[in-house]
Amino acid sequence: MSKITVPIGPQHPLLKEPLSFLVSLEGEKVMDSTLRLGYVHRGIEKLAEQRTYIQNVYLIERICGICSHIHSTTFCQSVEALLKLKVPKRGLYIRMLLCELERIHSHLLWLGVLAKNIGLNTLFMYAWRDREIVLNIMEEISGGRVSHAVNIIGGVRVDLNEKHLSLLQKSLQLLTIRVEEILRSIQNDRSFQARTRNIGHLSLQDIKRYCVVGPVARASGLDTDIRRDAPYAAYNELSFEVPLMTEGDVWARSILRILETIQAIRLCTQIIHNLPDGSVSVSAPRRVPAGEVVSRAEAPRGEVFYYLRSDGSQNPARLKIRTPTLTTLITLPGQLKNMQLADVSAIIAGVDLCIACGDR
Amino acid sequence: MNIEKVVNKLQDALNLDKSSIKLMPMIETEITISKQQIFLAVRTILKSGIWHLSAITCQQLEDDFNLLYHFWISGGLTLRIELDEKNPQIDSICSLIPGAEYYEREAREMFGVEFLGLPNPIPLLLPDDWQNGYPMRKKEQSRQEKPKDDESQQKGQSS
Repeated sequence: MSKITVPIGPQHPLLKEPLSFLVSLEGEKVMDSTLRLGYVHRGIEKLAEQRTYIQNVYLIERICGICSHIHSTTFCQSVEALLKLKVPKRGLYIRMLLCELERIHSHLLWLGVLAKNIGLNTLFMYAWRDREIVLNIMEEISGGRVSHAVNIIGGVRVDLNEKHLSLLQKSLQLLTIRVEEILRSIQNDRSFQARTRNIGHLSLQDIKRYCVVGPVARASGLDTDIRRDAPYAAYNELSFEVPLMTEGDVWARSILRILETIQAIRLCTQIIHNLPDGSVSVSAPRRVPAGEVVSRAEAPRGEVFYYLRSDGSQNPARLKIRTPTLTTLITLPGQLKNMQLADVSAIIAGVDLCIACGDR
Repeated sequence: MNIEKVVNKLQDALNLDKSSIKLMPMIETEITISKQQIFLAVRTILKSGIWHLSAITCQQLEDDFNLLYHFWISGGLTLRIELDEKNPQIDSICSLIPGAEYYEREAREMFGVEFLGLPNPIPLLLPDDWQNGYPMRKKEQSRQEKPKDDESQQKGQSS
């Protein structure tokens, strides 16, 4: 049988962001695939070297349009470590609240994308309707739906008032009901299972060899979560479970992410019930003492890594950013091999790519 | 496995003295090794049960050019390797950790580090026909930051 090469991307209805796949087919079966990044490479690491620390907080937020808050959290965390600043508890709690709200929003967005890619438009509508609840909360708190600009070096810029808390309480209750309903319907839906089971399989060994992080790793049975293993902010004061699955296919990743969403909602409830009093930030000096620091945090897609080196001036000497998407991208050609062309869309959506994050 | 034990094992395997081990903020240990020791060091680390390589940072500073390999298992372990700025060359560790491929390719095109034995040495982020050098090196200025010619700007406005 003759081979056909099908280009998927850089512009393709399957992909929300530009990325190029070249898929070689024999009949309907994928024999091989190659991947090309860089269509949204903006050189943020280089730009960061030419901006002050304060300007960088806002630049770093633009790395990603979905998980913007976790990037600025990790950056501020590393600068604060170099400055030896102690951020007030209330500030840390508000930071964590935004992180968890972002996780809910990111996972619901992803669920919508997966549902759309496998032709379940009703689920797509439900998932994105419920995502609006979270976006409304975040807009109420910060003024922005996706770029919140909540973090500053030394804490956060916004404080929660009674109005925010009552909105949060009401919305989180509604969200719990909605997400549990989605989980029930997915678990029982035959067409969802038929499209997601036994495709895009990654074994635990592959996960370790390719250094994969986040929900994709946890769906293959690797018990890892930076929030629990090396608590940053004030995660050591909260109790939560890290869901784990062993199947390692798109189905397991889907269920796992919804279980994580439920945990994130519980975390948000815990945070607003235990919100400490006091100020939300401390003032930080503009110059950062020379030194280097490595900082990690758990983004919705897994471990995000920052290396910051300061030479004592107002600008960082080097800022290295490794986003979780880069680790999952490398496994995609292996996942696609020997799959049917019709399953490619589900596999690509299943790993939850964020190309802008991967390219930086 | 705890990081201290791994550090001790590395110290024995590579014959390192205490001065090459440094503690960093946020539970991170840094060990300086030479580039010939990279395979032995990575093998020792893998044998001690650390499989996760978080990232490879390449950096060029005033007086040094180095690679940092950041490992992680409930605590961070960083290997620092000094390279020669004029001819940066090191063995690729992709045969031991396949997940290192993208990190090495990125360092290759952004800084010009040559990884010997890199399985797929094609551009990852930069365009295929890129010929403007290594963008992350210090002497490369970003377009926006090029020194402005104030006088010519003022003339342009007035005319």
